[in-house]
Amino acid sequence: MTPSSSSPPAAEVKAFPQEAAAAAVPTQAAVIPALSADPLDIVGLLSGAHHPGAGAVVLFSGEVRDSNKGQAVLGLEYEAYGPLAEKLIGEILAEARGKWQLHIAVAQHRVGRVAVGDSAVVVITASAHRSEAYAANRYIIDRIKHEAPIWKCEHYADGTKEWGNNCNCHTVTGDIHKHIYETDPKHQP
Amino acid sequence: MKIHVYAGLKDYFQPEFELREEIANTDELRAVLVKINGNAGPLLSTCRFAVEEGFIDKNFKLNAHDTVVIIPPSSGG
Repeated sequence: MTPSSSSPPAAEVKAFPQEAAAAAVPTQAAVIPALSADPLDIVGLLSGAHHPGAGAVVLFSGEVRDSNKGQAVLGLEYEAYGPLAEKLIGEILAEARGKWQLHIAVAQHRVGRVAVGDSAVVVITASAHRSEAYAANRYIIDRIKHEAPIWKCEHYADGTKEWGNNCNCHTVTGDIHKHIYETDPKHQP
Repeated sequence: MKIHVYAGLKDYFQPEFELREEIANTDELRAVLVKINGNAGPLLSTCRFAVEEGFIDKNFKLNAHDTVVIIPPSSGG
């Protein structure tokens, strides 16, 4: 029997590019802005979120739906109190990195008009194993949605608009600074 | 005192305006704003307040030179 013609000659098999990988280890020094007025570069963010110590990378993209409460939606408009949103998202990411020993934690949220099907927020987490990456990712997006001073205005097909889907945890916790997920076991490492 | 409001509060107030009254804390500020526009009361009761890019609570002592940001409940994502 002759060897398969699809097998490459032994001389052409390349060594693992260990040196290149080591040189490319992200340092987290390159801070990604938490807010963007431009469409989110999901592919670019993901391509920068690999780490040799991470066996799992989880990416969440929150995208604009074409309906809300039975009404057709044309798009959303996001507004943020920028300085505090940037600061708070940075703190949430730092906290998540510590709680789950993440190699990478990135989040970016849109401001301005976002069309149906486009991404409004991206969260990427990378860790040694998938359970940490999944849990941390959920922790980050939940906290951003509930705590970051960012608001969405729904623009409906009938010409009306509505600021909405506000966090209403205070109706349960009795405190506008406390959220129902704070005791959620899913948010614990 | 300078006031900045966001999102749904802009249905009731200008995005930025100034108050001349003496206002000691967020409870007093909320009351002054409700006097200006009573329809904003329910939303104001759920809002957080910030000064110098940090959240403040009702015990925080406000000063005339502060810029107070009024933050409705978040709805990002």
